[in-house]
Amino acid sequence: MSELKICHLYPEVLNLYGDRGNIRCMQKRLEWRGIDAKITRVGLGDRTDLSDFDLFFIGGGQDFEQEVLLEDLKAGKADSIRSAIEDGKTFLCICGGYQMLGHYYETYDGVKCEFLGAVDFYTKGGNVRMIDNYAFRLSEESGGSTVVGFENHSGRTYLGEGVKPLGTILKGYGNNGEDQTEGVRYRNVFGSYSHGPILPKNPEFCDFLLKTSLERKYGCFDLEPLGDAFEKQAHDSVLANVMAGTAGKDD
Amino acid sequence: MSNKIKTMLAVGACKASRSALRLLHRGGTTTPGRMAMKFDRNILETVSQGMDIIVVTGTNGKTTTSNMIEHALSGTGRDVLANKSGANLLPGVTAEFTSNATAFGKPKKHFAVIECDEGALKQVVPRIHPKVIVVTNLFRDQLDRYGEVMHTLEEIRKGIKMVPDAVLCLNADDSLTASLALDVPNKVTYFGIDCPIGEQKNVEISDARYCIRCGTEYEYDYHTYAHLGGFRCPKCGYRRIRPSVAVTEIEKVSSSGSVVRMRFGEDGNRNAGGAEDRDGSLENVGPGCRIPSAETEREVTIGLPAVYNIYNGVAAIAAYQAAGFDREEVIASLADVHSSFGRMETFRLGEVPIQMILVKNPAGCNQALSYLAGLGEDYQAVFCLNDRTADGHDISWIWDADFEKVCRGPHLKHAYVLGDRADDMCLRLKYADAEEADIEKVQDNAALIEKLKKSSVPVFILPNYTSMLSLRAALGAITGKQEFWKG
Repeated sequence: MSELKICHLYPEVLNLYGDRGNIRCMQKRLEWRGIDAKITRVGLGDRTDLSDFDLFFIGGGQDFEQEVLLEDLKAGKADSIRSAIEDGKTFLCICGGYQMLGHYYETYDGVKCEFLGAVDFYTKGGNVRMIDNYAFRLSEESGGSTVVGFENHSGRTYLGEGVKPLGTILKGYGNNGEDQTEGVRYRNVFGSYSHGPILPKNPEFCDFLLKTSLERKYGCFDLEPLGDAFEKQAHDSVLANVMAGTAGKDD
Repeated sequence: MSNKIKTMLAVGACKASRSALRLLHRGGTTTPGRMAMKFDRNILETVSQGMDIIVVTGTNGKTTTSNMIEHALSGTGRDVLANKSGANLLPGVTAEFTSNATAFGKPKKHFAVIECDEGALKQVVPRIHPKVIVVTNLFRDQLDRYGEVMHTLEEIRKGIKMVPDAVLCLNADDSLTASLALDVPNKVTYFGIDCPIGEQKNVEISDARYCIRCGTEYEYDYHTYAHLGGFRCPKCGYRRIRPSVAVTEIEKVSSSGSVVRMRFGEDGNRNAGGAEDRDGSLENVGPGCRIPSAETEREVTIGLPAVYNIYNGVAAIAAYQAAGFDREEVIASLADVHSSFGRMETFRLGEVPIQMILVKNPAGCNQALSYLAGLGEDYQAVFCLNDRTADGHDISWIWDADFEKVCRGPHLKHAYVLGDRADDMCLRLKYADAEEADIEKVQDNAALIEKLKKSSVPVFILPNYTSMLSLRAALGAITGKQEFWKG
């Protein structure tokens, strides 16, 4: 039986917006196809060897807890994460977990926080939070499907020269509210501001991640289609409301 | 315009618009307040002057705790004003006080119990000068509106600092709430639960895993639920303070309420800080520690089910005595406290018993789901999810709540789903291992009620805020329950 080893990084800290829904989604969609999903939670102070995993998930967290996290990264995980990325392992990184991959985060007051620098981009704190349901279209190399989600960030992310975004904004703010880009795609790293969580309502994107990871491990790999009626219904109704500006009524 | 005339206009406008809205069968909870404030910016200060006021804030339990205090006060013949409708922002609170004042803006009642939104506390309390502020707990909630839990805590702290004379009544078991005592000038008293409840393991999702003072992971002597329990920081010594009002043992829990043992004494040393503890006493180290001689214990019955209502009960007692009332009054009235609007409220639809449990965030939802999972009998469930402004536009929290608890259990016979985000909820249930065939999306309240009439087992409805309001009205109309402003 084929098997995917999934590492949930810092689940005890980075879990702010239903992030574990992404893990559950990947797990179920693998199990429904008879593929073994082995989920390992790797937290602060945990020195588990990261080179053994096929897919990594990093969620979003509270600013308050960021410091503990940066210390732990410095103590060893940073290097392991960088090599896993260069090794072509699949990463799904959301919000804070996404920002963490860049060079740094500069707060609105000008305080600079050094991050992993695994991907060429940086984030600057803004004075307005970009909060709402939103939608974007994945680039062809990330499957080309449409993704709906919820964004909530004051950080504005700017991609380096030649770095490709994950997709293009259809409605909402995305990376910075200026250039219509959303997220990042570098090797097999998929970074996004979309929580919600991102995967259950966007099954095509979930399957694209799983396929990417399985193909790196096993070579050519076909994923059996699933009955996605509930998933499609949820995706389509939110997308329709987002595009029409009718998501989240006032009263 | 003279102040007197402004006040009179404000009161008049408020009362007139409230009557008009109620004729139209609308609650009229905020518009009248806004109208009043337009005529007189200081109206709330005027119409609350000289009253004895208790304010309740925090993520969960505001309404029920307020209701418990109000029930005790009115049951002993006092004239009490309360914002029972749950309109807990500045305009709603203003409307409540203004409607209960004379045409000249003089309060008609002497006592008030006000539940207040965490973010609105800093606007409300400096105008009404409460005697006591209760903070029930803090959990992640409506992150799109408040940002993070720490931000909410900061908002509450700002409010408290504006009224240094108010006595703070804090949940000792919540490291976030209890931390409010660290840097405010107010007098503080604590309530809590001394004994473990449920599974004794670190929860998967905690809003407070690391010490708020130094960032070290807390150790727990015991857990009650979510991040609440006997916490202590092994590094800096920040820890649970032994509360003056506490549950020591849970004797009986059923769907009609709980019987617990409580102790009443003095609070532990507020400045306790482990090694820095000034008097070096061991007074504050949680259960099993030295018991001060003045302490008394007795049995207390709380007429509402589930663990969170035990917390609400102990909070109500602590607040009641902190405000200078006789705690025996509130203890007696807790036994027959009725559920508040949509919170464990029961209905009878023909022969079908229905219970409505408002759920707004993962912590509260998990409590409700544990309650269902522990019932041990077959039932149908209804999940209603809206994403309107009062609910929070972000519904991602449903993935942080353990719907698996009920979906994997043997007793959930069928699940109806409705609301603006019904499709998201259906999906959540599917991934929580419910059979797709058992998940049924329903178009609206009327269609739901028709389905529920045919149920052969009890029904539990878990709606979030605005879906509760509309479903409560529909169910109330058909079962003959009153609208909230008449209750």
